[in-house]
Amino acid sequence: MATSTAAVGRSIPRLEAHAKVTGRAEYVHNLRVPGMLIAKVFRATVAHGRIRTLDVSAARALPGVFAVYTGEDIRKLIAEPYYGPAFHDQPILAIGKVRYAGEPVAVVLAADAHVAENAAALITAEYDALPPVYDEVGAMTSRAVVHDTLKPAGTFADLKYLKDKRDTNIALDFHLRRGDVTKAFAAADHVFEHTFRTQQVLHLPLEPFACVAEPAGDKTSGSLTLHSSTQSPSFVRAEIARLLGWPDNKVRVKVPYLGGGFGAKVYVKAEALAAACAMLARRPVKYALTMEEQFYMITKHATTLRIKSGVTKDGKITARECEVWWNGGAYADIGPRVTQKSGFTAAGPYDIDNVHIDSYALYTNLPPAGALRGSGIPRLVWAYESHTDMIARELKIDPLAIRRKNLLREGRPQATGTPMRDAALDLVLERLAARMAWEKGFDRGSGAIKRGRGLAIGFKASISPTTSMAIVNISADGSCALYSSTVDMGQGSDTAMAQMVSEVTGIALEKITVVHPDTDVTPYDMATLGSRSTYHMGHAVKNAAEDARDKLLALARDVGLSAETTPIPDIFRKKYGMLAGNIVGVGSFIPPYTPPDANGQTENATPFWMIGATGAEVEVDTETGEFKVTRLVNLVDVGKSINPSIVETQISGATVMQLGFTLTEQMNFDAGQVTNASLADYKIPGIRDIPLMENEAVDANQRSGPFGAKGVGESGTFGVSPAIANAIDDAVGVRLTSLPLTAEAVFRGLCKKAGKPLKDH
Amino acid sequence: MTPFELAEPRSLREAASLLVAGGEPARAIAGGTALMLMMKAGVFQPKRLVSLRGVEARYSEISATPDGSLHIGALATLTALAHAEAVKKAAPVITQTLKTLSNVRVRNVATVGGALAHGDPHMDLPPVLTALDARVNTVSPGGGRTLAVGELYTGYYETALADDELIAEVIVPPLASAAAQGGWRAVYKKITTRAADDWPTLGIAVALCREANQVKDARLVVSAATNTPVRLLAAENTLRGAVLDAATLARCGDAAMAEVELAGDAHGSSAYKRELLRVHVQRALREIMV
Amino acid sequence: MSTNRTITFTLNDAPVATTVGTHQTLLEALQAQGLTGARESCAQGLCGCCTVLVNGTAVSGCLYLAVFADKADIKTIEYSPEGQLDAVQQAFIECGAFQCGYCTPGFVLMTRQLLDGNAHPSDDEIKHYLSGNLCRCAAYPEIIKAVKLAAARRESSRQSMDKG
Repeated sequence: MATSTAAVGRSIPRLEAHAKVTGRAEYVHNLRVPGMLIAKVFRATVAHGRIRTLDVSAARALPGVFAVYTGEDIRKLIAEPYYGPAFHDQPILAIGKVRYAGEPVAVVLAADAHVAENAAALITAEYDALPPVYDEVGAMTSRAVVHDTLKPAGTFADLKYLKDKRDTNIALDFHLRRGDVTKAFAAADHVFEHTFRTQQVLHLPLEPFACVAEPAGDKTSGSLTLHSSTQSPSFVRAEIARLLGWPDNKVRVKVPYLGGGFGAKVYVKAEALAAACAMLARRPVKYALTMEEQFYMITKHATTLRIKSGVTKDGKITARECEVWWNGGAYADIGPRVTQKSGFTAAGPYDIDNVHIDSYALYTNLPPAGALRGSGIPRLVWAYESHTDMIARELKIDPLAIRRKNLLREGRPQATGTPMRDAALDLVLERLAARMAWEKGFDRGSGAIKRGRGLAIGFKASISPTTSMAIVNISADGSCALYSSTVDMGQGSDTAMAQMVSEVTGIALEKITVVHPDTDVTPYDMATLGSRSTYHMGHAVKNAAEDARDKLLALARDVGLSAETTPIPDIFRKKYGMLAGNIVGVGSFIPPYTPPDANGQTENATPFWMIGATGAEVEVDTETGEFKVTRLVNLVDVGKSINPSIVETQISGATVMQLGFTLTEQMNFDAGQVTNASLADYKIPGIRDIPLMENEAVDANQRSGPFGAKGVGESGTFGVSPAIANAIDDAVGVRLTSLPLTAEAVFRGLCKKAGKPLKDH
Repeated sequence: MTPFELAEPRSLREAASLLVAGGEPARAIAGGTALMLMMKAGVFQPKRLVSLRGVEARYSEISATPDGSLHIGALATLTALAHAEAVKKAAPVITQTLKTLSNVRVRNVATVGGALAHGDPHMDLPPVLTALDARVNTVSPGGGRTLAVGELYTGYYETALADDELIAEVIVPPLASAAAQGGWRAVYKKITTRAADDWPTLGIAVALCREANQVKDARLVVSAATNTPVRLLAAENTLRGAVLDAATLARCGDAAMAEVELAGDAHGSSAYKRELLRVHVQRALREIMV
Repeated sequence: MSTNRTITFTLNDAPVATTVGTHQTLLEALQAQGLTGARESCAQGLCGCCTVLVNGTAVSGCLYLAVFADKADIKTIEYSPEGQLDAVQQAFIECGAFQCGYCTPGFVLMTRQLLDGNAHPSDDEIKHYLSGNLCRCAAYPEIIKAVKLAAARRESSRQSMDKG
């Protein structure tokens, strides 16, 4: 065996770098298979209504159309064609009624994409309108009910407690109780209460959702292969097999690279329709969305957040009450988990004795909402860190000082009762303060331009209990393959995992390949989401690599060689008389987890904490409200970095994504219909929108993590929105409480402050 | 998209006649970037298109005449316009405008004529050329005519062009001929309120002719929040004969704000856009004064 | 008049003759040739994922009619006459100027175009030139670094060629 190469902790380029710069990396959106039909969807034009008529005759009659299917056709294949990770609430095609504008109602198959598209445009439907509900707070008591009955999926261990329900829009209500807030509010010197809002936004990976479904064999003894741009191949296999009434091993899910995911491509998305079409047509079917169609697939919840704090006159927070309403749209997707997990930390990274949290996942007649980079956390941080500054301003305490005073210290129990361990909150805050030179003077601008700065810090619990498996296969020639169902969607997991294998086995990185997810080949993984891969899969990979290494050492001992000094091929040669055989190491990992009790209390809410903080500097034009973010400083605790340069790209990428959600991105609706479903009208950050950025992963160590590492993909999002809002307030004394932060909102605030509110004509 | 017949005439006049040769009037396609968007979205499903890509090369040329006016062929690409030395010299405001007009790839194929004939009020060139008092020469089977860019727009995506009429060239009159007396100078402010690269919330084009420190003449145009580019005549009047001091600027801004209806949309409310207009008209004038 | 056309063009130095519908885009025609380095994303010419060179000029393949490519010289990201990475591709790798890689071919092609016309672009020139390319992973800071590194590499290889 070769000696250790110290692969972990090095900024090596991505394994697939060459393929990506030459345009040869594979994505499902580019995949064509022989005999393939293209699926194009006809979508609902009303937000809530019973389907009175659905006429597909003109579409069927268009030359070149292979088939047109409706919800009733799907039912001939699958009697109960409903899917979802939390509730089985989403039909493959609408049955009886539609619950949001944009919902798939019928599908056309044709060999030619233009024909399929033109045929879909010939389909007509009439609806008996039902009263819609759009607002998340209104949905609590609305007489309009999106689903008559709800059936929990029962798939994931952490969502086992979901119950059968009827006649309610509340998919889940999470409650956390600690101490006695009523008493504490009564005793507090000051009580502050504010309400914040966030808008509905979406992931928009540049590779839109795509799935190619290839059926084989006949209906009774057949099988199905799905090439899918999914972050969760293991889940897709199980869910499609469940829908078809098959054992898991008859469905095969293969995943090449993803052109971005960000939480969009988890659970079942394009796969169910592609699979159903392929089974009905007995032909390969490709269902690839357009950029516009992504607006109808999955989004990020709009939210209303109410937060109330009892504070002593010197700024110690003694009690906090939070109510959060999550606008889940028409189908729950993973909203219930977002609601529950976010509920754990809604009170912020502060040491507060009395906490009361209510978090509600609500159905409305809008496009479904799921998890997006950071899950619910960036919205909570937006609320609690804006609130922190508002308190500080009222009490005339420095924003840094009030955070220092209240921050959760190592070992202290957080709101769920779980103690903080390896959570570098202090260090992250102090490094941020140092980089911002917070305690030094600051140029406040001149003339019409006023400058301000703000900071914010947040944290997130990881996802538990979830399972990862890995296989490390060492070939006789000393090369090595890692089999893992972690999906590389740009975060660099292939590279990081290969570095871990190299570190354990001493095999050089160039000799290690990562076999992409293929459920016939790679073992189970819960999914690539929630920044869980480095930690969960990292452990499984490390265990598998150690298993392989140990077996190799045993093999060497068996044949009387020194494993430390003998090249790997010589060990195999001695054993098998030639270069033959291989060593297979297996590893698995599931972190410990204790489900919360009725009061949301648990000793073990998470295997690790993610920490992220941002400092922002802004320039505000006081004549127009136009403002510019001139500097963002981003600090995170990722434990030890496996690959520092990829970690930095993840931090800045997450920050910029959240910058879009803070400043420019917003889904606009008219009667439930999205009115800006394109990159021309929904503005994601471009190269000219990026401020000066500094990123730092603080010197930390996650002792329970593989090589001291933990997740990194989301932490850069946490502090961005409130840091900017706090900076605007610092500059011009205008406090914004709704996202996105717009120039007009600042201008209106300035007018109001001057006693001349802007009048609309 | 649906298949269509494509005519590929060799001359602009032939192209104009082909536009009405079939039953329904056909659309002309040159760079095609704007039409393609409409076709891909399914809002435009032509039976027939007339390509202008094979017409006489002279319609792609850009030149300056000795009197200082610019002649810009309608088939010149926006990239050609952006790089033309003659334009940089005679009307730097055009060069400046092109820097943030769409992007490199679109500018590489989109044409000047297309950008004008499309009638999209969010486009940048119509307000700029209106402020420069530019005119277009058109070609139609029966001949052609000259009309001011300011007269080209009759409504939202509607132009004064007949079904068989094509823009042949744009003529920008000399700006600097009166240079000794101050001459004309122009700026364009593309106000975006969301991302840096976005449709404008407001387009504000300002051309000013000064003599000593007195304003001799001015043309102020606002676009993007209006159905067509709109001349701000009252605001212009506040400038003529005035000295450009803070009081004049304020009067001009107030007049601009008062005289035009601006539509509210996702970029901003009507009331806010009026405030933006008031401030940015003044800033545009200040920029000219520098 | 038929709505199909037989067109011929040179694709990465190789001759191609193919029949396309008038309504088909150049991007579709290239994908029919098995090339997927240019790929559709926004479908509006805003993201640059479908960047293709037509007679040396960058266009959005999704907004360009295939029939207009008749007789043209077409080059895509797959074009590699030397069979190895160029300075721009090397710089993108070294600077980590991508994550998911979906937008990368477009950025590489546009960067080459930029540097061909402007050997030493400023930050502002880089940003304006690349403003028609979107990266949802937001590797923008790394992309700007990569453009500058590529410019420096091209300069030094020019100098060594001059000396040679």
